[in-house]
Amino acid sequence: MRTYRVSRWSVWLFVLGMLLLQVPLQEAIHKARPDKFSPTRRMQTGSMFGLGPTPAVIASLGGFRTVAADLLWLQMERVWDSGNWFALLPLLDAVTQLDPHFVLAWKTYGWHCAYNLNAESETIVDRKYWLDRGLEILQRAVEANPDSWEMVFELGWTYYDRAHENYRAAEYVRQADKMPGAPSYVSRMSYRVYEHIMDFKNLFPAMQQALKEHTDEHAHQRIVNRDIEWWTKMRDDPQEHRRQIVIENTARQQRALPFYLFPNDPYWVVCEHDGLPSPKGSKVCQACGRPLPQALPIGSSSQPARG
Amino acid sequence: MSALLTRLIPLIGLILIAAIIVITRRAWVPALSHSVPSIWRIAGITVAEARRRRVVHTVIILVIVILLSMTFFSYLSPQEQSRMIISSGLTAITVFGILLSIFIAAFLIPHEVETRTIYAILSKPVRRFEFVLGKYVGALIVLAVVTVVMTAVLVVVLLVQARLVPSTPDSVFNPNLGAVLFAAFMNYCALAVLTSLIILISTMTSTTMTVISAFIIWTVGSMQSTFRDLAEKAYGGAKVLLLVIYYVVPKLENFDFRQEAANYMPISIVGGWHAVLLGALYVAIALVIAGIFFNDRQV
Repeated sequence: MRTYRVSRWSVWLFVLGMLLLQVPLQEAIHKARPDKFSPTRRMQTGSMFGLGPTPAVIASLGGFRTVAADLLWLQMERVWDSGNWFALLPLLDAVTQLDPHFVLAWKTYGWHCAYNLNAESETIVDRKYWLDRGLEILQRAVEANPDSWEMVFELGWTYYDRAHENYRAAEYVRQADKMPGAPSYVSRMSYRVYEHIMDFKNLFPAMQQALKEHTDEHAHQRIVNRDIEWWTKMRDDPQEHRRQIVIENTARQQRALPFYLFPNDPYWVVCEHDGLPSPKGSKVCQACGRPLPQALPIGSSSQPARG
Repeated sequence: MSALLTRLIPLIGLILIAAIIVITRRAWVPALSHSVPSIWRIAGITVAEARRRRVVHTVIILVIVILLSMTFFSYLSPQEQSRMIISSGLTAITVFGILLSIFIAAFLIPHEVETRTIYAILSKPVRRFEFVLGKYVGALIVLAVVTVVMTAVLVVVLLVQARLVPSTPDSVFNPNLGAVLFAAFMNYCALAVLTSLIILISTMTSTTMTVISAFIIWTVGSMQSTFRDLAEKAYGGAKVLLLVIYYVVPKLENFDFRQEAANYMPISIVGGWHAVLLGALYVAIALVIAGIFFNDRQV
């Protein structure tokens, strides 16, 4: 029987053809996995304080970055118990560089700066520095993990609880609420951000919106209905207004933040020196005796309140 | 890369492949009926030899011990524990899979040549490329069995821990089994590509050089995106060299889904499918070239 031999040239041309075919396949993989291969992912490997491993070290680890991040995380757990909080910074920095999708590490890193190091600081300048660093870290975390509702919510929560920037917090909490997987407490948080500052113009619509979500969760519906009932009753109660003003400004004082002056409150005028309320129309603060700001015309405010 | 080039390059590739297949059909169509049984017989012999080798059993036992030791991190939160077990477990499977792939594939053909048993095989009506293919298929079967065993142990550890570790209100032990199984499968595909390259190198050089080259290929293949980034910033000869390395060396990073599995991120099935196709292309290229070199080699 006649046998046919394949010439060497045809084999090499076949190999060349297959090599050329891998180009569009690789481009398709880049498009399908942008978090791994897109050019902008480079920004995820930058160090916040110049402390962590260099990009060369990260690149040389090749496929073992996740394990390296885990080992450093275990070390971080040991250092945490020692109380040396500043030693945690390079460890957390390295972990987030090695594995930018390690959400818990980002949350711990941002929280550690905005809460622990902020509270440990002795001067207002240092406190502001660590709070700003914490927010910056969480901002980077959101950029590295845009699909994670936890990350967005953590940023919103830090703006609300630590920085007391309620309107900015509301933006992020609302964004987190729209993302898949967000639990019901995120919906409730989307109106809680307005409670202490008594922004009723935004509070009641946000509560109604929260009521329309998670309709199958009885606990959520019960809590939201309870809150709507409470605020409907307390909306025009001057003593409740006073209580909320004292709560908010006490928290701000503990964080060494400027007082919120509640510019549109119909019952009270807030002293910018001690953050405490005095009845509307008072000329001096009842607590410290200093002059109060003059009554503002309707529609204007002493602080650029948003919302 | 411009849109025109992106369309033109694969088109040229497809035309070349189709033309060669059609032109050479009289050679390979009748060879199929003879080659497939020969390839299976050689694969069976390879699997039987691998079963007798202690390195395979040692690797399996080591991986089981390592995976079971992952349960000792009980001081961590449930979410941290699940992440640790998944990422470390998948990495252990990867590392030991690479070691096994190297120790099996690097010795397949050189060992036969050194012990002169290859004369007995090639004196039979077995073509040289059938010998190479049979060895490759046998190595793949061994790797598949080992990967399945290691993955099964990891899955059992995850399921048991999911039952034993109590959840807290803000932290739950999530075994993420679907992603773990997908990542393990893609890891096996990466090993298949690496094995084909090791067999290619073993037809040209000594065993020692094959082992060293295998580690280099794995390291370079896992850093492909870094080479692309460097190529974008380089110019002149350096840019050309980096682009050649980027396009020629197989991109084993495409098969790495461990980060997605450990961090509970969505898995791109399209990305995985394209990676498998790309891997199949590299395997075909490597085995064809290996067949050519082994055909020309004086044994």
